[in-house]
Amino acid sequence: MGVLALIGTRKGLFVLRAADGRDRWQIEGPLLDTWGVYHAVVDERDGTWYAAANHTTYGPTVQRSSDGGQTWRRSRQIGLPEESGLVLNATWHIEPGLPEDPETLYLGGDPGVLFRSHDRGESWQVNRAILDHPTRADVWIPGAGGLCCHSIQIDPRDPGRIYVGITSAGTFRSDDAGETWVPRNKNIVADFRPDPYAEVGQCPHKLLLHCTQPDRLWQQNHCGVYRSDDRADSWLRLDGNGLPSPFGWALMLDPDDPDTAFVIPARSMEYHYGPGGRLAVYRTTDAGATWESVSNGLPDQSWTVVLREASAFDDESVYFGTQSGSFFVLADGDTWLEAARHLPTILSVEVTSWSA
Amino acid sequence: MVRIVVPSVLASEAEGKQSFDVEAETLGDALRALPVADLLFNERGELRHHVNVYVDGEDHRERGGLVSPLEDAHEVRIVAMVSGG
Repeated sequence: MGVLALIGTRKGLFVLRAADGRDRWQIEGPLLDTWGVYHAVVDERDGTWYAAANHTTYGPTVQRSSDGGQTWRRSRQIGLPEESGLVLNATWHIEPGLPEDPETLYLGGDPGVLFRSHDRGESWQVNRAILDHPTRADVWIPGAGGLCCHSIQIDPRDPGRIYVGITSAGTFRSDDAGETWVPRNKNIVADFRPDPYAEVGQCPHKLLLHCTQPDRLWQQNHCGVYRSDDRADSWLRLDGNGLPSPFGWALMLDPDDPDTAFVIPARSMEYHYGPGGRLAVYRTTDAGATWESVSNGLPDQSWTVVLREASAFDDESVYFGTQSGSFFVLADGDTWLEAARHLPTILSVEVTSWSA
Repeated sequence: MVRIVVPSVLASEAEGKQSFDVEAETLGDALRALPVADLLFNERGELRHHVNVYVDGEDHRERGGLVSPLEDAHEVRIVAMVSGG
């Protein structure tokens, strides 16, 4: 089975396809030309493509296509209620619901908001409990990336258990399908705040749940890499043994092995490039106890980074795109293949299976 | 009847249609009748910051803004500000 990659960039959506070997790629695009595609995903329940599309002049929306990207339709206007005093700044992440909820999708946005659609993305309703969360007014302070709800993870055993990651606010869990949300940031440091171990105010950069061991979550945070084995009730810090920096955005998992994860460290928020000017991927196969560099095929010197939505994984491989417009795939053992270069700034990567 | 001309990005969001003939009393009513109104206005009904609108060549802000009557106007042109990109 081949692979189809949706590459969201600042200047539209690129589609890359490869056969099973993942060594030769065909590029199509840009689709949604001129739109910044913060995230795009194929809903594997019905094949619809969704894109969190943001235009510098015409604002945020969701675009969707039922014909493989040939034609697109915007969702009805997505917005926040007037009494909130907030307006929607950007759409960030689209998460299809579980197979038993075929009409349901979730959408994360800025300023730290979550929407749900019950009609396959035609319209979106804001989640009031996140919008009105009691910690929002005093603790949620936008960082350089705003207040973006970038990670939405649903427990495959229970559609009522949902996790969200919001920058400068933290990780939150709902056990009642979004009616209530509790902060879940225990042991996660926020060294930019007066109380570095406060209940709220941490800055997750990417949050992923493991599909076969759903009590386990991984998190690349502004301040370290973490793992939880108890549904985010507590977190264990993992970046002290082998990672050159605790900072970064990208996070990839192995669906077949809950102990394996990949990160791409960046020097710090002041620098936004890899330590030593190197683009390097680090892998753990022992649940974060140790890390090793997996960087064969990557450039020796590269002052670029991989953004929070710009990495992906499937059963066969892992993938990422850089701010400098290169798309890499781990195609042959532990060697990276640069499948595309000179694309616009890559904002997001998602992959799905594809057959010619 | 006034003709509203939209830039290419908006035309591509309206099945390629670059102009619309609209019957409306005010400029705001005319713009809100467009199939791309959600891209011109935010959820408060405020014109997005980087959108310029000209009525017969005159900046709409100079002739009373969105509430201004169209009266004998012939053409409304929507232009993206350079600050938007």
